[in-house]
Amino acid sequence: MSTQAIRRSVRYGMSTVITHGVYGTGAEQALAAAEKETDRLERLLSRFLPGSDVWRINQNAGREPVSVESETMEILKKAVWLAELSRGAFDITIAPLSDIWRAAGQDKAVPDGAAIRRALSFVDYSNLKLDQHAMTAFLPRAGQAVDLGGIAKGVAAGRVLDVFRAYGVASAYTDFGGNVATLGTKPGGAPWTVGIRHPRCEGSIIGTLSVADRSVVTSGDYQRCFLTPAGQRYHHILDVKTGYPTDNGLISVTVISACPLTADALSTALFAAGLEKGARLLKKIPEAHAVFIDTRLNVFISQGLIGNFQSAGQPVKILSF
Amino acid sequence: MKIRSNTVNKEGKKRKMGWIIALSIVMVLGIGASVGLSRVFKEHREIKSLPLNRVDFSRLKDGVYIGAYEGGMYKWRENKVQVTVSGGKVADIKLLKASFNSTGTTDPAPLYERVIDRQSLLVDVISGATVTSKGYLQAVENALLQAAE
Repeated sequence: MSTQAIRRSVRYGMSTVITHGVYGTGAEQALAAAEKETDRLERLLSRFLPGSDVWRINQNAGREPVSVESETMEILKKAVWLAELSRGAFDITIAPLSDIWRAAGQDKAVPDGAAIRRALSFVDYSNLKLDQHAMTAFLPRAGQAVDLGGIAKGVAAGRVLDVFRAYGVASAYTDFGGNVATLGTKPGGAPWTVGIRHPRCEGSIIGTLSVADRSVVTSGDYQRCFLTPAGQRYHHILDVKTGYPTDNGLISVTVISACPLTADALSTALFAAGLEKGARLLKKIPEAHAVFIDTRLNVFISQGLIGNFQSAGQPVKILSF
Repeated sequence: MKIRSNTVNKEGKKRKMGWIIALSIVMVLGIGASVGLSRVFKEHREIKSLPLNRVDFSRLKDGVYIGAYEGGMYKWRENKVQVTVSGGKVADIKLLKASFNSTGTTDPAPLYERVIDRQSLLVDVISGATVTSKGYLQAVENALLQAAE
């Protein structure tokens, strides 16, 4: 049993609560540096902060290519790769559609079909022109917009762990509003126990995973959702084919990956793809594993999680495809 | 849930951490220790699913802690336990008092053994527990402040 103390920090950023836990000496400096790094990334990647790379791409949609930082380019490239892999189930140009649904959530009223169709016409990640030599990004039509909300927290979690490493930290976790990444093991070599939030009981977990040097990200229909007066739930993961929130029987998908960005994007993609297509998509990234939960609270795990996932009581099925 | 508790520390040091540990353990044990047979599986699930991430089980202070759980609305589950922490681990748990009689209740000993075996009723962190309102921040912070030494 280690006698090392964990240092924790909690703050608000990237529109969520950010928690870090760091073991070892140098934790204070590492936490301060992580905070600065997170702020820097938000200034680079937020589409709501004037002057950010993403804000400038969107402002200049239909007008001209925009110079971006090389790290923005790397993130955009990886996002497009994941979009291609998932055949658009994960799409960073979904902003016009998500804007409509965000406004709908405030009014608790479903947007009309014409508005949805109009917004959908702007959504197509393959339109995003990335020029790696000129280091520019360009959306060809005014009204199109990039939103990195589906990966920015993963990116930030990865960078924060890089900062921790640079400060000599060997054991830490970071949690961007439920978007978890771990560095090393706990002191003494025990893996981190990461709970998966129960999708229907706030404050409870549906099971646990034991991980080291892995990111664990959950997408759920309980996040950023609203209920109409009739009691219909509309959540934030949108189907780019229909323009409506996905309705494929899944209510939570958790992805475990060595890459926090991949875990973040893939959890959204698998959620949108549904159980069968999602499981097939998962196979394209062999190092990644997933926990799917359907509306009946059946839990499905990929084969790599056998012996790792501990259910808190729900029946667990192992994916065979 | 209202909880009352008192703490006895061998070393005579009454530390806040000890209280939190005792309260948390007792809350979990109290729920499990006092249920009827027909409900025990449900309760086991509930216990397992309680995210006791406020307490760092790797930082338990040695000592003997006594904790009580009021037992809910009708005090059906009222009970009192003694938890011994030795070498930084939960070494022993004894049921001191229970409001229920033995008829139709379940022996909590196996449950206590599981706590001792696994030392892992908590999770380190929870995936998917998105908190997007600033209003929640204070609560999160307060919880973590309690857990920090």
